[in-house]
Amino acid sequence: MPVTTTSAPRLRKPGGAEAGLPASAPRPPARVRVRSTQWAALGFLAPLIVYLLACYAYPLYRNIDLSLHDYTVRSFVQGGADFAGLENYRDVLTDDGFLPALRNTFLFTFVSIAAQYAIGLALAVFFRNNFRLSAVLRGMFLVPWLLPLIVSGSTWAWMLNSDNGIVNTVLESFGAGRINWLTDPGWALVSVIIANIWLGVPFNLVILYSGLQNIPEELYEAAALDGANAWQQFWRITFPLLRPVSGITLLLGLVYTLKVVDVIWIMTTGGPGGASTTLAVWSYREAFGTGLPDFSPAAAIGNLLLLIALAFGFLYLHLQRRQERT
Amino acid sequence: MTRLPRPARTSLALGAALCTLAGAAACSSSASSGEGGDGGPAGAYTWWDPYPQHDDSSGWAQRVAKCGTEAGVTIERTAYDTTALTNQALLAAQEGTSPDIILLDNPAVSTLAETGMLTTMEEFGLDTSGIDENLLAAGVLDDQAYGIPIGANTLALYYNQQVLDEAGVDPASVTDWDSLTAALEQVTGAGHKGITFAAIGTEEGSFQFLPWFWGAGADLRDLSSADAVEALELWSGWLESGYAPNSVINNSQNTTWEEFLTGDFGFALNGTWQVNSAAEAGFPTGVLPVPAQDGGAAPAPTGGEFITAPVQDDTARYEVTKKIVECMTTPEGMVETATTFAYYIPPTADGQQQLLADSPDLRPWVDAVRVARGRTSDNLGTDYPKISEALWTAVQKALSGAADPADALAEAQAAAEDEIG
Amino acid sequence: MTALTQPVRRRHRARWKTVLGIALTAAMLFPVYWMVNVSLTRTEDMRSDPPHWFPWNPTLEGYANVLDDQLPAMTTSLGIGVGCVALTLLVSAPAAFALAKLRPWGAGPLTFVLLVVQMIPGVVMAIGFYAVYVRLGWLNTVWGLILADSTIAVPFGVLVLTAFMTGVPGELLQAARIDGAGRWRTFVSVVLPLSRNALLTVSLFTFLWAWSDFIFASTLSRNADAVPVTLGIYAYIGNNTTQWNSIMATAVVASVPAAVLLVVAQRYVAGGVVAGAVKD
Repeated sequence: MPVTTTSAPRLRKPGGAEAGLPASAPRPPARVRVRSTQWAALGFLAPLIVYLLACYAYPLYRNIDLSLHDYTVRSFVQGGADFAGLENYRDVLTDDGFLPALRNTFLFTFVSIAAQYAIGLALAVFFRNNFRLSAVLRGMFLVPWLLPLIVSGSTWAWMLNSDNGIVNTVLESFGAGRINWLTDPGWALVSVIIANIWLGVPFNLVILYSGLQNIPEELYEAAALDGANAWQQFWRITFPLLRPVSGITLLLGLVYTLKVVDVIWIMTTGGPGGASTTLAVWSYREAFGTGLPDFSPAAAIGNLLLLIALAFGFLYLHLQRRQERT
Repeated sequence: MTRLPRPARTSLALGAALCTLAGAAACSSSASSGEGGDGGPAGAYTWWDPYPQHDDSSGWAQRVAKCGTEAGVTIERTAYDTTALTNQALLAAQEGTSPDIILLDNPAVSTLAETGMLTTMEEFGLDTSGIDENLLAAGVLDDQAYGIPIGANTLALYYNQQVLDEAGVDPASVTDWDSLTAALEQVTGAGHKGITFAAIGTEEGSFQFLPWFWGAGADLRDLSSADAVEALELWSGWLESGYAPNSVINNSQNTTWEEFLTGDFGFALNGTWQVNSAAEAGFPTGVLPVPAQDGGAAPAPTGGEFITAPVQDDTARYEVTKKIVECMTTPEGMVETATTFAYYIPPTADGQQQLLADSPDLRPWVDAVRVARGRTSDNLGTDYPKISEALWTAVQKALSGAADPADALAEAQAAAEDEIG
Repeated sequence: MTALTQPVRRRHRARWKTVLGIALTAAMLFPVYWMVNVSLTRTEDMRSDPPHWFPWNPTLEGYANVLDDQLPAMTTSLGIGVGCVALTLLVSAPAAFALAKLRPWGAGPLTFVLLVVQMIPGVVMAIGFYAVYVRLGWLNTVWGLILADSTIAVPFGVLVLTAFMTGVPGELLQAARIDGAGRWRTFVSVVLPLSRNALLTVSLFTFLWAWSDFIFASTLSRNADAVPVTLGIYAYIGNNTTQWNSIMATAVVASVPAAVLLVVAQRYVAGGVVAGAVKD
């Protein structure tokens, strides 16, 4: 077997549905076949590669450039910013706000995606059984996504207002005390997480539901014949076969959640006093939250987030490969 | 999925790719290589302002258009929301495509002047000596004026006459902090809510805190002074005593006003821009100057926009630009602006006299604007945004109970010094 | 499923599920209800304590404003959304097929690039596009916005479609090959139909992102020619005042056509496509 196929990192995992079936590329006429496949693959990838270069090369370069120079508003307009090396990164890492922001980022991200995924999967399994109105209701679940974030964020802030919010009104009518959702340093992060979970559930529901659609019905029928109950069917069929889709959903969820700014900004502006400031919010505040745009530290924070996302990207590929091997 | 559109799309993307690379190179070499304007027709002058609420058919748009016609050109007006406007101005300046005129929120003037993208009024030969000095100061950097205020507004205390009557409070008795706090006690004792203000973690939070901060005699160069601590203790004391709702920590000025309109509150800190809305409220209202700690009116920060003229490659354009600026800043023009918006006080003595002749009930606001103070004055310039960020963070920490006022302000002073360097 | 009791029990169970489904949907959509509520509330009642569950004293002022001002913006938004979907599918579907089934060299690094580019802050992307569009004269064009908005969706599209296409059974591709189909034919007539769910999913999200984009629109498009709804809303946010009922009303009105589109699209996600194909 030529080096080419074995060294190429594979982005594929044969679904359990075809477990035991031969791999898609037939082996015999190895070298020729592989080369022509490579050319074909390149052909299929060409639009994407051109697209990536066209749309992202400059912004990516710009973000790194910004973070390595000491841009003031003046040098942003006139050019000629001083090269600062890793100075901006050092400033960010040694800032008093860094550790709390990092902690908030991890709490916000992991609680959000764990809850979004769990709720999304539960709903996807629930909606898998076609019942009256199921398609319409599933469509309705996407409605929150149609709202501009300024609207959904404001609505949540409205509902969670300490004094005239509907949530506290309900709590009080049950005899529970008022909670200062957005203005208590202990609750502000919880509040934005709740709103963010709400925003993320439709995304998880739709992707996981589509994933479920690709699991052959026969497997469930066979399992039912073997006497497996719904719980066992979920853990033995649904969950394992959904793994590739789950993996990508979680990874994308992570990437999107890491960079969330709008919801937090609209609801609490990262406050009170930094209690709900994540790295992304901090970056945004440096660049646009004050009267004086400070792009260099903002870009440095942005690049740190990028590194975090990359680390999880590695983890994803690693897990995927390990699974491929087994 | 047809094959057909694919080549078209690919060439499109390729074009963008080449241009992206070209753009990167051009960007780093020269800043002002653009063609000027957003590709509008020749003879058109571009105008940006932060009033998206006034569409093309509004009185404001017509007024802008008229100034263009008088100068012999058409004006292409684009409205941005306030934050987007500053960012867009920076971007356009970087690409050398600045508009001919930008109306800027006053604290942004010194920031943009700092970049070198604005012309001075002196270069234009415009006389700024008639403008009230306290109002012009926000646009002055190193003794040069970079714009002319087209109107000014500021903060004062609105009160709900009905609520005060029921609580037995005479608004005239509110002259200093103690009498205000006593009035709040009476109002809440009568089953109403005391006061609402905005302490949100943005510039608005600092804007609303400044009258109290300055009213205590504190200085923005020293956030941790005893005076500053007393001002913050006044606010946090109100929250602890229940005179102000906890939600003020997250309130924007707009939310504050909505709360006041419910009719539950005795007082609300808000600006000139709510004059019309107050008149239409379902209850009688009145206005008091924000009291200073020991009596008298505290200086409130000025708000309002400046008309500025960004640097152009083609300096021949300045002649017409000057005419447009003049059209907007004559005493009549100022009064017209004031009435178009229904909330701007003209920044010249002449203009103020004319405005008062037309609408005498604006008297308290004219007085308030006369004693108001620019946030970026005293040559604070681009240090102000950094100080302001430290200040609103301290206010938020103190009000939410994360730190006591003295500690929060000490921390703020350290942060501000660190930032300014 | 021939047992006589089965259909009866099934129907009973299904009804129970519909009820639960409606309850869940209602809970999910409560914030949306609240938005509708606010859109009908007069300004002076908006912050009343306790809040009104129902707009007893409704005002239609917000809706009147919206119908006057926002219809062209909605058309623009729809056009941008649809254009964005087309562009995204054209770029990402072939690429995903290659990544999932052709084992190209450099697939791993490419996946990384796809992850990295999604982490570039939207604002930086917008600044980059601005620099390019100023030179091309593409500012304030629908085309320009479509290309810019698609950058949110293309990496997503490739990654999701790849994950789904790896699930297409290899033997189907081989069968096509044996029938003499080239890779393009295999892709178009075997893989794409089998990936209908995934394509629809990607389309949905692409549309939704394009629909709700604000950053690109606010940086790249300000003239009346290409103002989408998200920007239209800002007409109601003055620098000192906010007309909440108009903002919320815009959101309500704007979501109606898009919601219809979503519900219709959802109905077309047919069950068990792959299973059916394998059986045949």
